[in-house]
Amino acid sequence: MNAPFPFGFPGATAFYLTLYVVTLLIHVAFMNYVLAGATCLVFGLGRGRAGSAGNALAHILQDWLPFCLGLAITAGVAPLLFLQILYQESFYTSNLLLSHRWMAILPVLIVGFYLLYLQKTAWLTARGTTVVLLVRTVAWLCFTFIAWSWTENHLLSLDREGWVAHYASGRWLYYSPELPPRLAVWYFGALPTLALVLGWQTRWIRGESQIDGDETVRLLTGLGLAGLLLTAISGGWYATVLPGDVRGKLLGWLAGPYLGLAVAGLVIQAGGWWLVWRRQSLSRGLLWLLTAGWLCGLVGGTVVRECRRLVALDLSPLEKLHAEAAQVGGLVAFLVFVAINAGLITYSVILVRRLPADSGDAT
Amino acid sequence: MNPLIFYPVPDLGPVMKGLAIGGLAIFHVFLAQFAIGSGMLLCDLQRRSAGGRNPLARRFSDGYFKVLVLVSFVLGAVTGVAMWFTSIQVSPRTIGTMVSEFHWMWAIEWTFFSLEVVSGYMFYRYGPRLDDRARMTLLVFYSIASWFSLFWINGILSWQLTPGGWLTGHNVWTGFFNASFWPSLLFRTITCTATAALAACVLVNVFPSVSREERTEIIQIAARFLAPMVLMPFLGAWYIAVMPADSRGWVLGGSIAMLLFLTLAVGCSTFIGGYAVLALLRQKLYINGATATLLLALAFLATAGGEFVREGARKPFTIREYLYSNSIAPDEVAHLREVGCTSLDPYPVPGAETFPNLQLITGAKVYRIQCSVCHTLDGANPLSELAQMWSLDQKRLNFAQLQRTKPFMPPFAGTPAEVEALVQFLTWHQAHRPAEWPESSDPEVLQQIADWLREAGPGREPPGGPDLTVAVKGASR
Repeated sequence: MNAPFPFGFPGATAFYLTLYVVTLLIHVAFMNYVLAGATCLVFGLGRGRAGSAGNALAHILQDWLPFCLGLAITAGVAPLLFLQILYQESFYTSNLLLSHRWMAILPVLIVGFYLLYLQKTAWLTARGTTVVLLVRTVAWLCFTFIAWSWTENHLLSLDREGWVAHYASGRWLYYSPELPPRLAVWYFGALPTLALVLGWQTRWIRGESQIDGDETVRLLTGLGLAGLLLTAISGGWYATVLPGDVRGKLLGWLAGPYLGLAVAGLVIQAGGWWLVWRRQSLSRGLLWLLTAGWLCGLVGGTVVRECRRLVALDLSPLEKLHAEAAQVGGLVAFLVFVAINAGLITYSVILVRRLPADSGDAT
Repeated sequence: MNPLIFYPVPDLGPVMKGLAIGGLAIFHVFLAQFAIGSGMLLCDLQRRSAGGRNPLARRFSDGYFKVLVLVSFVLGAVTGVAMWFTSIQVSPRTIGTMVSEFHWMWAIEWTFFSLEVVSGYMFYRYGPRLDDRARMTLLVFYSIASWFSLFWINGILSWQLTPGGWLTGHNVWTGFFNASFWPSLLFRTITCTATAALAACVLVNVFPSVSREERTEIIQIAARFLAPMVLMPFLGAWYIAVMPADSRGWVLGGSIAMLLFLTLAVGCSTFIGGYAVLALLRQKLYINGATATLLLALAFLATAGGEFVREGARKPFTIREYLYSNSIAPDEVAHLREVGCTSLDPYPVPGAETFPNLQLITGAKVYRIQCSVCHTLDGANPLSELAQMWSLDQKRLNFAQLQRTKPFMPPFAGTPAEVEALVQFLTWHQAHRPAEWPESSDPEVLQQIADWLREAGPGREPPGGPDLTVAVKGASR
C-alpha cells in the first residue's frame, strides 16, 4: 500500500488488477452513456418544440442508446472475468447473499433493453407524450435499479464481517452509509460523459458550423457543468462517510496520485465547458480538451474506486492463486486475437464511416 | 484448484438449482444457435443478392437481421451474462475453477463477441445503405465471430465432461482440445444452421408484403441449411463414443431420465431432418407458418433434450474426475470424513430457532452443503419423496454409501455423526417437523455408519464393487 496502484502488489496480482481496471474503463464509458442518456430522456431532453435542440439531442439518444447498451453489456464481460480471478470469495459471496434480488437485474435489464428499442419506433411516438414519457421512465427505472444493485452488491462484498449476519437475517437488501454517496458519484459522474459524447455526435451529424451559437451548446454545457458540480459534491459527501482509516489510506500513495488525477480531470473538464460557453462553440480543439479531462477523471475515479476495495480486502491470501492463474496458457493467443479482432472492429467502423451521416432509424 | 470455501447457500425453494441453470442454458444455447446459423444463412442470401441479382434475398436479409438483433442481441447477450450469474448461484467453486483455468480462452471469446456485436450492429444500422461488398464484409465478420464464440466456449464446456490429459498435466490446450471437442463442435455447428433455417421459414411467413412465390423461394434457400443434418447421427455416435464409459452407460439406458431425453433429442431431430429431406429438398414442397413454427419448436425440444443429456452425463461431477456436483473435490472426501463438512461452515441455518435440537440443525447444514445442489426437500427431485419408504437403517446405509446407492451420486463427505444428523433431519422433515424430536446418539448406530463409510471408501469405485452382504446386515438390524 506504499506504492501507487498497482505497483505495490506482486506481478501476477498487479497484472490482473491492471487488466481489470482497463477493461472496466471501457465498460464504464458505455454504461455512463446509457445511464445518463436514459436519465436525460426522462428529466429534460425531447420535450421541447419540434426541431428544437433538445429534441435533436433526444433523437440522437434514442437512436444510439440500444447500441451503447449492447456495447456496455459486451464490454462488461471482460472485467467480470478478471474480477473473478482477483477477488473470488468476496465477489461470489455477495452474489449469493443477495441471490434473488441480485438475479433480478437480468430480467430488469431485458425489459430496459427492449424499452430502448421501443423508443426508436414511430409506433411509440404516435401514442402521445404521456405514453412516451411512461416508457422512458420505466427504462430509466430499470437502469437505476441495476446501478443501485451493482453498488449494493459491491459494498456487501467489502463487508466481510457482516456476511454471516446478513445471511442469518435473510434480507434481500443491504444498506451501508456508503451506498447513497457512492451511487451518487457514479450517477452524476455519468452526466459529463454523456455531454461530451453528445458533443462529438452532434458535431459529426451536423458539422461544426451548424452547431456554433446554437441552443445545443447551451444545453450540453449545462449538462456537463451540472454533472461535474454534482459529482464533486457527491465525492465530498462520500469522503465524509468513509471510515477515517480508509480515507487516510486513500489519500496515501496507493490511491492519492489517482485521486489527484481525478480532480485534475474534473477541473480540466470544467474549464473546457466554461470555454465552450464563452465561445459558444463546440470546436474540435475544445472537444479534445474535454476528452482529455474526461479520460483523466475516468481513469482516476475508476482506480480510486478499486483502491477502496483493496483497502477493505486483504489480497495476500489470494496472491498465490493469482500467480497460478498467470501460469495457465493462452495469453499469447489472447493477444493475437485481440489484435486481429480490434483490427476487424476498426475496419467495420471505417466501412460505415464512409457513409454520409444521417439521423438514421433502422427500426 | 481454488480452495474449499464455505459459501452462503441460497434457497431457491421448490426449484432445484440444476433445473434453474439447465433451463437457462437451454434457452441461451437455442438463441446462440439461432445467432450463429443466421450469420451463415445471411452470408448466403447476400451472395445471391449481389449485383441486384436477387432483390428479394436482400430485402429478406435486412428484415431477418432486424429480428436477429431484437432477439439474439438482447436476449442472447443478457442470458449469456445470466449464465455466469446463475453458475455462481449454483456452484461458485466450479465457475471459479473454470475461470482460473480458462480465463484466456474466455477472454479470446470476448474479443470475438465484441466483433460480433459491433459488425452486427453496423449491419443492422447501416446495412440497407451499404454496397454489396461492404454488406458481405460485415456479414462475414459477424458470421466468423459468432462461430468462433461457439468454438471457444465449446472447448470449455466439453472439457467439463472429458478433461482427459488435462487431469494429469493441467495443460490448458490439452484440456481445451479434449476428446469431445470436435464431435461437439461439429454437431453444434449443424444445429446452428438447422435452427437458422427453421427460423427463416417462420419469419418469411410472417413478413408483410411477401408473395407466396417469394416465400417459396426463400424457403428453398433456407432449407439447404437443413441438409447437414444427415451428418448428425454420425457426429452424435462419435460424441457418445468418446464419453467416459459410465456416462455412456447412463445415457444409453442406465438412467431412464437421460435415455428419455436422448430419445427426445434424437426423435425431434429425426423428424425435422426427415421433413427437410423428403418435403423440402426432394419434392420442393411449400412450408407454411404453422408448420415452420412447429418444426422450430421441435428444434427447441431437441436442444433441450441434448443439453439435458450433456449436463446429466457429467454426474456426479461438474468437472469430470476433478470436482463433484456438490463442489467437493474427490481428494477432499477422506479429510472431510475426519473433520466433518459442517464444522467450518460459518453460515447459520435460517429458522434454526424452531428446530428441536442441535443434531437437526447439523443435519440441515449437511443437506445444504451436500444435497441441495441437485435436490430439494419437497420440490423438484425431492429428498423427502425419494427416501419416502426407506427405513432409518436404509437411510443410514444409503447415505453412508451414496456412491453405491446411485452410481451418479458422489460419496458422502462427512463424519458418521453427520450421516446420522442428515438421517434425523430428513426423517424429522418427513414427519412434518414436530416440535419435539429426540437426539439420536446410540454409539452402536454411529459405529455401524462408520463401518459402512469405511466399506464404501471415499472414492467412487471401491475395489471389488459393492458388498451386498453389508446391505443385508443393515436391513436386519
